[in-house]
Amino acid sequence: MSSDLVSVTIDGVVVQVPKGTPIIEAAKQAGVLVPHYCYHPSLPSPAVCRMCLVEVEKAPKLMPACVTTVADGQVVHTDSEQARKARTGVLEFLLINHPLDCPICDQAGECELQNYVFQEGREGTRYGDYAKRYNPVEDFGPDVLYVANRCILCTRCVRFMDDVAGTPVLNVSERGDRAYIGIDQDQLLDHPWAGNVVDLCPVGSLVSKDFLHKARAWDLDKTASICTGCSQGCNIMIDTRDNTVVRLRPRPNMEVNRHFMCDHGRMNYRWMNRGDRIEAPLVRSGDRHVATDWDQALDLVRGLVGQAGPAVILASGGASLESLGMLKGMLAGRPLTAAVQVPLADAEAPLAGVPNLALRKERAANGEGARLLGYSMEWDPAVKVAGKAALVVLLDVALTDAEAAVVAGAGAVVVLGTIESQALAAARVVLPVTNTAEEQGTFVNRDGRVQRYEQARSAPGMGRPAWWIAAEVQGAAAATPAEAFAQVAAAVTGLAGMTYADLGVTGRMLRGASAAGSRV
Amino acid sequence: MAIGVKVLKRPDRNVSYVRATLKGLAITFRKMLEPKVTMQYPEEKSAPEPERGAWAISPRWRGTHRMLTDEQGRSKCVACGLCPQICPANCIKLVPGEDEHGNRYPLIYEIDEFRCVFCGYCQEVCPEEAIHVGVHYENAEYSRDRFVYDLERLSAQTHPVSTLWDPSDPKGE
Repeated sequence: MSSDLVSVTIDGVVVQVPKGTPIIEAAKQAGVLVPHYCYHPSLPSPAVCRMCLVEVEKAPKLMPACVTTVADGQVVHTDSEQARKARTGVLEFLLINHPLDCPICDQAGECELQNYVFQEGREGTRYGDYAKRYNPVEDFGPDVLYVANRCILCTRCVRFMDDVAGTPVLNVSERGDRAYIGIDQDQLLDHPWAGNVVDLCPVGSLVSKDFLHKARAWDLDKTASICTGCSQGCNIMIDTRDNTVVRLRPRPNMEVNRHFMCDHGRMNYRWMNRGDRIEAPLVRSGDRHVATDWDQALDLVRGLVGQAGPAVILASGGASLESLGMLKGMLAGRPLTAAVQVPLADAEAPLAGVPNLALRKERAANGEGARLLGYSMEWDPAVKVAGKAALVVLLDVALTDAEAAVVAGAGAVVVLGTIESQALAAARVVLPVTNTAEEQGTFVNRDGRVQRYEQARSAPGMGRPAWWIAAEVQGAAAATPAEAFAQVAAAVTGLAGMTYADLGVTGRMLRGASAAGSRV
Repeated sequence: MAIGVKVLKRPDRNVSYVRATLKGLAITFRKMLEPKVTMQYPEEKSAPEPERGAWAISPRWRGTHRMLTDEQGRSKCVACGLCPQICPANCIKLVPGEDEHGNRYPLIYEIDEFRCVFCGYCQEVCPEEAIHVGVHYENAEYSRDRFVYDLERLSAQTHPVSTLWDPSDPKGE
């Protein structure tokens, strides 16, 4: 192994990196971020932006750090006089035609051009009277606008569509200072993963129509989370503004989604902000529900849970591992049927350039976790059983009218719900629970990777996580999601020994699942 | 602890009110002949122009806001969000939107003048020179909600705008 490592000195720091590593990646290890535009770790590097030029000792001229691979004993200066002068020059050229419309640009605040110019750009322009080139804004597709004026021609979007999405619809049209990103005639940027070009764009040239003018970058609170769109379990950032989710963005995880997420997942956030939520525990009194406090509602549930007779749990496939596990623990000792609802789509939408990455058919985040805990995927039989059961617990599921009618035949129905639904009518007790954006928890993706998500917004009203309710009912001591996870994990062999701290931000594979589905 | 008391000597005889009255009247008559210094507000008002002399209101005065408009009468604001960001009193409400030409503009722009501390940061930070604090001090209203100025009202203001403090010319010369 050691023979494959080379030792390079970057800005005085000696680092050991594998052979073939580009200088820019080696520099990251040395704690130096070489400014760059066209380079992206998940895309091939063409070295067109000339921003990452660095001084390599004994090389005749500056070398692009994104394509120059390290050599043993190499000495690199990223911040030498020469390198800095080159970068300032590149920035000056980029600004010749770049409109200074930062006040109305959506990228302002997270724009790499803005950042680098602020860091080491020239103070003034030397092109006082020069008329900047002007191109109109183009509509590229369902969610992408192309603002040609702001484009710095890094070609990340072109390379993403060519090499990663495998649908080459974008190109660089014209030459020289007239160049712009063109789209093939009669084509649309409607690939199911096309939204990634917006994230890849280092400036505000490709902007999302959905996010357009919605919020400024500095207003956003960012929370690490997991996409709930399908069983792939892409790592995401939830961007919230004033307790409202305004945007989802991919979060790098080399083992799962690299730097990408699909448009289905990206747009799948409006339900998090829904206003028609259940906000207080409701108890049936006669033919209507009356709001009450937690103590009374929990006492009632305790009474129902304590009785004998078959019980059924019908849960959503998007419920967390903690909630599903604690709920099963709550009804332990009774004959139990437990099933999760997992919506199925007709087809997968793979991203060609990344192995084992697709928008999956199974459109629920935690189907694998439910399976692991012994939940059945057989939904219709479970609903039938529920019709004759003594106790039915519903966790955040949307029942059809027919299903709701069947479930109403049960002895008692306890609903743990987020939004008002059909199932409510028959319920003895309705308890408000938090949705994915409002709680901490874990999901297990289809490859068996256990991943954590964090709380992005506060729950409305008196909503609590479902695991908390289940723990209170059975008198189990679980005050934090970490404790709930520990209790659930103790009973599952694949999770044995795992703790919240172990999972970190990128998750961990279930024991025994490491080799099977995942890639290196 | 005793309190220190100073006992004043008061004249206890030959005290006449006539002398004191004459003394007072003398002051009154003298003042009647001197030039008047009282401004007859509200018949007479301060103005920012220097010809008002001692009553001139400073061009740096920071009063209630004014939104400047372009030639077509539209507000110059592009809803960039910098003024609500910098506002220390959190008194600016801004909701951006897009007009029929695809330009960014404020759908809602409201300033709560009650909350405002008149620091003038909004004017200083504005990249479009749209929002200004005004050289203006008569803000009375009959109801509290009239103190939340919306975009229409801000644009309709006609009073001059503040020049703010210029660090390169600290004395305003």
